[in-house]
This record gives sequence, C-alpha cells and structure tokens, in this order.
Amino acid sequence: MFLQKGKSFGFILIFVLILLGLIVTPFFVDLFYQTFLTELFVWILFAISFDLIFGYTGLLSFGQALFFGLGSYTVTILIRQFGFNTELSLLLSIPIPMLFAWFVGYFSVKLSGIHFVIITIIFAIIGNIIGDTWTSFTGGSDGLTFSPRPFRLGLFQINLMDIKGNYYFVLAIVAIFYLFLRRMIQSPLGKIFISIRENEERAQLIGYNVQRYKLIAFIIAGGLSGLAGGLYSLTLKYVAASYLHWSVSGHAVVYTIVGGMGTLIGPAIGAGIVMSLEHYLINYLQATDLVVGIVLVFMVLMAPKGLVGLIQSRFKRG
Amino acid sequence: MPEANEIILELKEVNKSFGGLLAVSKVNLSVSKGELRALIGPNGAGKTTLLNLITGTLRASSGKIFFKDKEITHLHSYQISHRGISRTMQITSLFSGLTVFENIWAAVQSRKKFFNPFVRALKWQDVKEKTESMLELTGFKDKAHLICSELSYGNQRILEMGIALSTEPDLLLLDEPTAGLNSQESMVLVKKMRSMLSGQTIILVEHDMGVVMELADNISVLHYGAILAEGPPKEIKENEEVKKVYLGSEHA
Repeated sequence: MFLQKGKSFGFILIFVLILLGLIVTPFFVDLFYQTFLTELFVWILFAISFDLIFGYTGLLSFGQALFFGLGSYTVTILIRQFGFNTELSLLLSIPIPMLFAWFVGYFSVKLSGIHFVIITIIFAIIGNIIGDTWTSFTGGSDGLTFSPRPFRLGLFQINLMDIKGNYYFVLAIVAIFYLFLRRMIQSPLGKIFISIRENEERAQLIGYNVQRYKLIAFIIAGGLSGLAGGLYSLTLKYVAASYLHWSVSGHAVVYTIVGGMGTLIGPAIGAGIVMSLEHYLINYLQATDLVVGIVLVFMVLMAPKGLVGLIQSRFKRG
Repeated sequence: MPEANEIILELKEVNKSFGGLLAVSKVNLSVSKGELRALIGPNGAGKTTLLNLITGTLRASSGKIFFKDKEITHLHSYQISHRGISRTMQITSLFSGLTVFENIWAAVQSRKKFFNPFVRALKWQDVKEKTESMLELTGFKDKAHLICSELSYGNQRILEMGIALSTEPDLLLLDEPTAGLNSQESMVLVKKMRSMLSGQTIILVEHDMGVVMELADNISVLHYGAILAEGPPKEIKENEEVKKVYLGSEHA
C-alpha cells in the first residue's frame, strides 16, 4: 500500500520519542552496549538500503556487500593513504559506491529472478577476490586500521575516537537517512518502484521505463549501502576484504525478512532482534547462526511478511 | 461512427516469425479515429501476437507500423504508451497487491513528468483529481480502498480497462475482455464498456461473437496470421470464407 494519509503526525511522534530514548541511552549503559548500539544503527541503515531494492522494487540483491565494502574502503583509504578529513571521506562513501552500482546495475537489472540474484552475488565475489589479493592497497584479509580526525561541521565537532561521540554521530546520520528514505518512498519515484515490484509488465505498459527505474533504485540503494559501510569502518576504525564478501549482504536479507520487507521499520526491528539474539546466545552456544537460521525458516513459513506484517494483520482482525 | 476517415494506426506488410513459424504474415491494417475495430479469428490465428507487435511487447520481423503518422515499429512498449497506445491483457494484469485507488493512481501518474523526487505524491492535486474522476467513471468510487485482488474477476477486468484508460490513450487495445466471464457477466461488462469507452478508438480481440457484432464498427478476420476478410459486421457475417474457417454454421 503506497498511498496512506493521516499517519504523518503519529509517525513523527513515535520517531521523536524513539530518538529521544536513544539520545539518553548512553547515560545508562556502558561502553560495550554503546558500541553494540552504534553497530546496530549501521546495520539498520544497511538493511533499509537493501530493502529499497528488495522490498520496494522487488529485486533480491546479494551484491549490497560490494557497495558496503566499497564505502568502507573509500573512507579508510582516503583517510589513511591520502590524509583526507573525515567529513569529505564519509561524503565520498556515497557517490563512489554509486558509480560502481551504476556499472553493476547496468548489467544486472536486465535480468530478473534468480538470474539477478546470481549476477549480483558474482559481482560481490569478484570484489571480494580483488580485495583479498590486492593486499598492497586493501590490506587483504588482515585489513587496514586508521584513526579518523574529529568530524567538523562549522563550529560543531565530534570526536569519533570517543565511543559516545561516535554513537551520537552514527545515530544522527542514520536518523537523517531513515527520513530521507521514508520521504523517497512516499514520493512519485517510490510509487513507481512499488508498481514495478507489483507488476513489471503492467508498469511498462502504462509507460514506465522499468529498466531505468530499476537502475535508479539500484544506484540509490548502492549509495546508501556505501554510506553504511563508511560509517561501519569509522566506528571500528578498521576495514578488511571480508567486508566485501557477499555473505555480508546476507545480514541485510535476514534482518529484512525477519522484520518485514517493503517497510522501513521492518528491517530496523529485524536488525535489532537478530543482533540482540546473536549477542545473548553467544554466551551459551557457539552455533548462533544455527538459531538465527531456524528463526529465519520459521518466519518465512509462518509470517512471510515478517514481524511488521504479523502485527499489521493482528490489528486488522481486531 | 467516426467523422472522416482519419487514419490513426496503420500496419504495412507486417510479419512476425518465431523460428520457422510465421505467426503474423503480411498484415496490412488501417484503423480510423473513433472506430471500434474487432479482430477475430480461430485460436492461434495471431491476434494477440498482432497486439503485442503494436504495443512493442514484441518486435516485428519485417514491415512497418505507423501511429498518428509516425513510425513506432522499433519503439519500446513504455515509449509506445507515451505515444498514446494503451492495452489490457488476455490474462488480467494489475498491481495486485495495491488498492484500486493506487492502481489507477499509478497509471495517471505515468503521464506526469517530475524532477523533484522529494515531493509527496499525495500532494499532487491534479493527479489526485484525475484519479478520482477515473474512479467515478469506472464505478469503483466506493471500492477505491480495497486491495484489487479482493475484487471479483469481472471487476478486475473492468479495473484493468480503467488503468488502461487512465493513461489517456488515443488508441485502446482490448485483448479478450470477456474471457473467463459467464454470459451474464459479459453483458454487464459490455454495458460498462459502452459507458466508459464512448468515442474511444479501440481494437478489440474477442471470441464472443455476440459482443463483437454488438460493439464493432468494422471487423478484421485473421486466419493463420493473415487477414482473411475485412468489413462491417453484416458483411463479415455473410462472407462465405469466414463462415468456413471461423464462424461455422451455428453463427451464420
């Protein structure tokens, strides 16, 4: 459903409340959980960028890891090798992955279904192999570390070496881009993406250049995945070739399916639940992935629209 | 009947082959503005293929197609849509997970250019008004917020026509609108079509001869991909060759 009225006020209220909650959280939890939450925010951004291409446009891309990794490398290499400041390197972690997404998308969006899935995996694998072998530039599987300078915006400045500063920094950017994506989904462009997901043939017949719009969605998603990668490496002050591995895309797939695809809040909730689950389970057993896998299978069978879909249908019934 | 014979669509020597099979062979066809042209013929005669060639879903192997005096033979289907040709499918093709309102909206919106991706779609007053007037015309005003897969099959067929009409086409192609409907539902649909589509230039592919005879201004008969006969319904009814290959004795 893409045309809904009268929910703006409710949304703003909930959004502001959650944001306020997250702003005061660091005063109540220790550094470990602050880092945990910072990483969670990054994965939320990654998951919603994936949902733009999967949940809204209907293309299952396993190639998002490539753009995530490229964003991470953009930030790391610009700061470490070229001495760029933090602001500019993070800013560039959007357009550089976008250029690659344009290239990958140019070949991929012509394909549909399983062929699209496979070609995006292949591109991510190629990226991973290059990252692994070109060690002089990428650090290979050992990776690269760096120390970013404080992020400056006018008089405003945040020290990213400080965990709490880093937390607020990532929270602010993810919140901004959450709103950005929400607005885009409500725009005419978003309606076209949804139409394509619902029926490509019909969209084409009423005059939408389906391949062009798929490419646009893919490029935007690529840019946002890149930004998520850039934030991730800023948080960990580290990047490695494994960031490019296609299985990284799998995180976004799992979060989105568990939370509910085709919504923005779904992947965010999914990321929160799965990451918390993994975090608590690791105390008791090593095979956390196994449990996550079982949860995933359960969700796909019992609630294909994810938790959000489950809650929505409960609401409707009574 | 249309005033003057202003030709809107013209097919010249159009061929389409799939491997060795000639699905459409040397078809010449002209449709005038305001005309309702029926396309009839046995199964596999190439009727749907012909529509697919006109809308750019398939490319002609040879020959040329002109629409409003401009060649459209090699255009993509979304481009042809913007030139003013719209269609419905033999198997209903809707945005099935969306509401009736959203289905029509998507089609209305397609006529609009936009440069600001951050405008809220719902703030487009003109699109909204046009969508609402289309809902009125198609009779879906009180069903606007139903998910369209919840509609009855007959209503889905009507909705698809509404979507096709919402792009404001100069030529509308209807591929077996009564397929899968019982005779009563067909009657309702025909009645609806009369009120919805008056004045519209239409090519109608249809098996139900009652519907064809009632609606068509002219009929073209396709047989093995070639045009066998062409003329007003009365003439076609009495054409011996047509009787032999298609209408058979029970219709004669």
